[in-house]
Order: sequence, then C-alpha cells, then structure tokens
Amino acid sequence: MVVHPVLLIAIPLIAAFIIPLAKKYGFAIAAGAMAFNMGYAIGMFSYIYSHGKIYEMIAGFKPPVGIFLAVDALSAMLALLINLFAFINFIAIGKEWNYKFSMLYLLAIAGSTGIVLTGDIFNMFIFFEITAVASYALIAGKKDEKAIEGAIKYMVLGSIASIFILMGIALIYSQLKTLNIYDIAARISSMDEKIKWASFALLLTGIGVEAEIFPLNGWVPAAYQGASSGVASLLSFGPSKAAIYAIARIMMVIFPFHATYEIALYVGVVTLVIGELAAFMQEDVKRMLAYSSIGQMGLILIAFSLASQNIQNALIAAFFLIISHASAKSSLFLLSRSPSMGGAACKYTGIVGVLSIIGMPPLAGFWGKWYLMLAAINEKLWLVIMLVFFAGIVEAGYFARYLHKSMGNESKLNLRYKVAMVVMVSFTILLGLLPIAYKMASLPLWGW
Amino acid sequence: MNYALVTPCYIAVAALLSIGLYGVVSKRNLMKIFISLSIMETGVNLLLITIGYVPEGTAPIENANFTKYVDPLPQALVLTAIVIGLSVTALAIAMLISYYEKKGSLEYKGGMKW
Repeated sequence: MVVHPVLLIAIPLIAAFIIPLAKKYGFAIAAGAMAFNMGYAIGMFSYIYSHGKIYEMIAGFKPPVGIFLAVDALSAMLALLINLFAFINFIAIGKEWNYKFSMLYLLAIAGSTGIVLTGDIFNMFIFFEITAVASYALIAGKKDEKAIEGAIKYMVLGSIASIFILMGIALIYSQLKTLNIYDIAARISSMDEKIKWASFALLLTGIGVEAEIFPLNGWVPAAYQGASSGVASLLSFGPSKAAIYAIARIMMVIFPFHATYEIALYVGVVTLVIGELAAFMQEDVKRMLAYSSIGQMGLILIAFSLASQNIQNALIAAFFLIISHASAKSSLFLLSRSPSMGGAACKYTGIVGVLSIIGMPPLAGFWGKWYLMLAAINEKLWLVIMLVFFAGIVEAGYFARYLHKSMGNESKLNLRYKVAMVVMVSFTILLGLLPIAYKMASLPLWGW
Repeated sequence: MNYALVTPCYIAVAALLSIGLYGVVSKRNLMKIFISLSIMETGVNLLLITIGYVPEGTAPIENANFTKYVDPLPQALVLTAIVIGLSVTALAIAMLISYYEKKGSLEYKGGMKW
C-alpha cells in the first residue's frame, strides 16, 4: 500500500469548497471528510511506524523544486491527533451552527494538518495563513462584543506575525535560493551569519504568535474568552499544537545550533512561569484555562529545546505533553460551556483533565513531566527543574480552586458534549498506560 | 553588479515597513491599524520582488532573444502573498463593520489586559 499524505490536506479543502454548493448537507459533508481524514491519519501513522519516513513530491517535481511533504513519526502522530480530536469535537458542536461553520472548521483543520506535514517553508506560511484566517472567523462566529474584540486582537497580531514569517522566508531565499527545509538545512552554513540569525529571529517571532509564546500571546486570553467553547477547544488542540511543532521543526532541522536551543529554553521557561502565574490570578474560567494553555505551551517548548543533547527523552516528553495538553485542555474547554460540573461525566472529565495537566501518575501529563525531568537532569539544568515544579504547584493551586468552585449543581451540558469530552479526556489515561506496557525509549519519534 | 536600481528598492522596503509598524503601534483607530498592516505587507512584497531582481533581466518568459531574466519564483510567492493579504483585509473590514455596529466607534479602547 502506498500512502499519500497530501490527501489529508486535499480532502478537507475540497469538502470545504463543496459545502457552500450543498448548504443543506454541510454538517454531513464535513463530518464525512473528517471521518475519512481520521481513518487515513491512523493508517498513515501505522504505515510510518513500520516503514519509516514518507516523502511525497506533488506533481512529480523532484526536490528542491516543487511542493514537497515530509512526514516522520512525530508529524504523523500530530496529524493523527489533530484529525482525531477534530472529528470528535466536530460531532459534538457542529450541529449548533450553520454550514459556514463547517466550512471554516474544515479549513482550520486542513491548515493545521498542512503545517505539520509540509517540508517547504513557504507552504508552511500558506498553511499558517489558512489556519489563521479560518480561526479569526471561527472566533468571531459567536458575534457578541467579546468574540469580535478577541478576533480583532488575534487578527492584528496574526497579520504582523504573517509579515514576520514572510520576511524570514524572503531572507533565507535571498541567500540560498531554495524553500525546501532539508535543502536549506544542508546549506545553512553557507549563509551570511547576520542574515541567518535575522531570519531565525523573524521566523521564531512570527510562528511564536501562533504558538502562544510569551511575550507574543496578547491575543490568547481575549480570543479564548470570546470564542464559543467548542472553538476554544479546537484552538487548543489544532493550530497551537501545529505551530509549536513548526517551531520545533524549524529549530531542529534548519537551525540545529546550540544558541537556538538555548533561546528556545529561555523563552519556554519565561512563558511557563508567566502563563501559570497569570492563570492563578484569573476569575473567569475560560481566561484561566487560556493562561494555563500558555504555560503548557512553554512546557512543550522547554521539552523541544532539550532535544539537542538527549533527543529521545526530550521528544518523548514533548509527545506526552502535547497529548496530555490537547486532550485535557480541549475537554476542559468543552466543559467550561456550563459553569457548574455536577454529574458523573462532567466530574470525571474535570478531575482527570486537571490531574493530567498537573502531572499525576499514571496519566499522560505525568509521563511528559517525567521524561522532561530526565532530560533536564541529564543536562544539569537545576533552575529549570525547580521552575517546572514551581509551575506545577501553581497549577495545582488554581485548578483546585476551579474544581472546588464548580462542583455541585447539575450541569446543563447536552449528551453530545458529554460523550465528546469523556472520549477526549480518556486519551490521557489510555496513553498514560502506554509507557507501563512498552519500553518508551525504543519509540522512534524522530529521524531514523 | 549594478546597484543603481536595487538600492532605492531596499530603501523603499525599509520605509514601507517602518511606516506600517509606526501606524500599527501608534494609532488607536482599528481601520488605520489595518491600513498600516497593508502597508507593511506591501513592503514585504517589494522585498521579495527585489530579491528576485537580476540586473538587466527581462520578464521570465521563454524567448530566444533574451537569455537573462529575473528569478520567477519570488514573483509567484508575491502573487500568493497578495491574495492572502487581500483575503485577510476583506475579513478584517467585515469584522470592523460588526465592531462598529456593536460599539458605535472604531477606536480601540481596551489595552492588552492581563
């Protein structure tokens, strides 16, 4: 069997273009496309797991010319995660909206999937724009004052980000006359030193806005607070995860230098501490979850930045942190639709999600922090270890307050929401059991 | 290499980018902010075109009379970037209309609240 990763991007795009022609069947078409994508992503992941990396050349142009997709185990895993959660989330919330919502949702998913699969920096820029434009519209979809304000904030910062990314790409192109990331990586040493660092700074700043990295995340609380809970859930497992992976890929493939890892480490630590402290001070549930997301993105960036010395532990840590954050935070956002969380399903979701984010064994969040600690101990980064523990304690503090406040009254969530969030949050338990059953160090996440 | 044409272009790029950035950080009117963003986008597009320029090159169309032509790839990139910029601007204006309907003004009052 030959796998074509490009279908994961093409099918939702085509479906998104068909939906306005068949408005009545918008929900069905979108759900069908996402079900296909989910199945295909599972197939692709198992194929890559047994056969190794896939390179796909579109229209038969050999690299470095032509559009090019490069899929390794980590990007296949992220594509699977995004498409799986997108399907579950869409089944829960899609019926509340009209066909335009289904269309935008498909565009956001196609864009996020494209970011993780592409091997070409200009295509990465285009997928960023597709994702960002769809997310602006999705956030504004609630049409009240807060939603529109959040969307406009995101839009201003997102447009500046896209200008920075494009400028970084222009600088790289001016020196190397290529856009393929492996081709750039092979010839990066022939670049002018100043232009190289300028382009890295521009790319990190630009993508950092989408990846919610401090101090570029002024849009995050407003956008998450304004968006409906389903869209906030989408934002926390889709675009932000794709963007943090894009930073990791640019850092590890194109700029694998000591200084870039160090910059990422500092940025990650500052993001973690400030995000968690800001979350501690929030009154509004969605704002608190948004700041907590910022902190978690910092943690994921720390995990990636430790990959220079001990790549295996660092990538396993990033893998678990991404899974834990995506599944726990997107279900907590669905839960936040109703202020109280009485009832077994809601209590289960709330408690498991919170415990996974804090990092309690045997949930996925625990293994993320565990392998992060192993990697940090190898590099003797005691201050980083201390700050990660400190952030964990702050997290425990505000999540305990959150649980205490919202337990009690019966929640008004309908059955679709309950099923979706229980399924999503169960992934942290499922994957938390994985390291007990398998020897994780043998998991080939990168390269080979 | 003949810099006579390229240098003014780079100066124009720097000017457009700084005018745009100044507008984004100093103006409170949202329409003016989005106009400034469009100016910045134009600056980046000009940068891409200037990078692809080859002195005395012609348009990249295959023709036996000309052998020297400018790099076609940045032009393709700029076409894409222009389309993206257009769609973002269109969406922004649509959103500003509903912002105006809600607030009765295009001035942005709230800061970046933490």
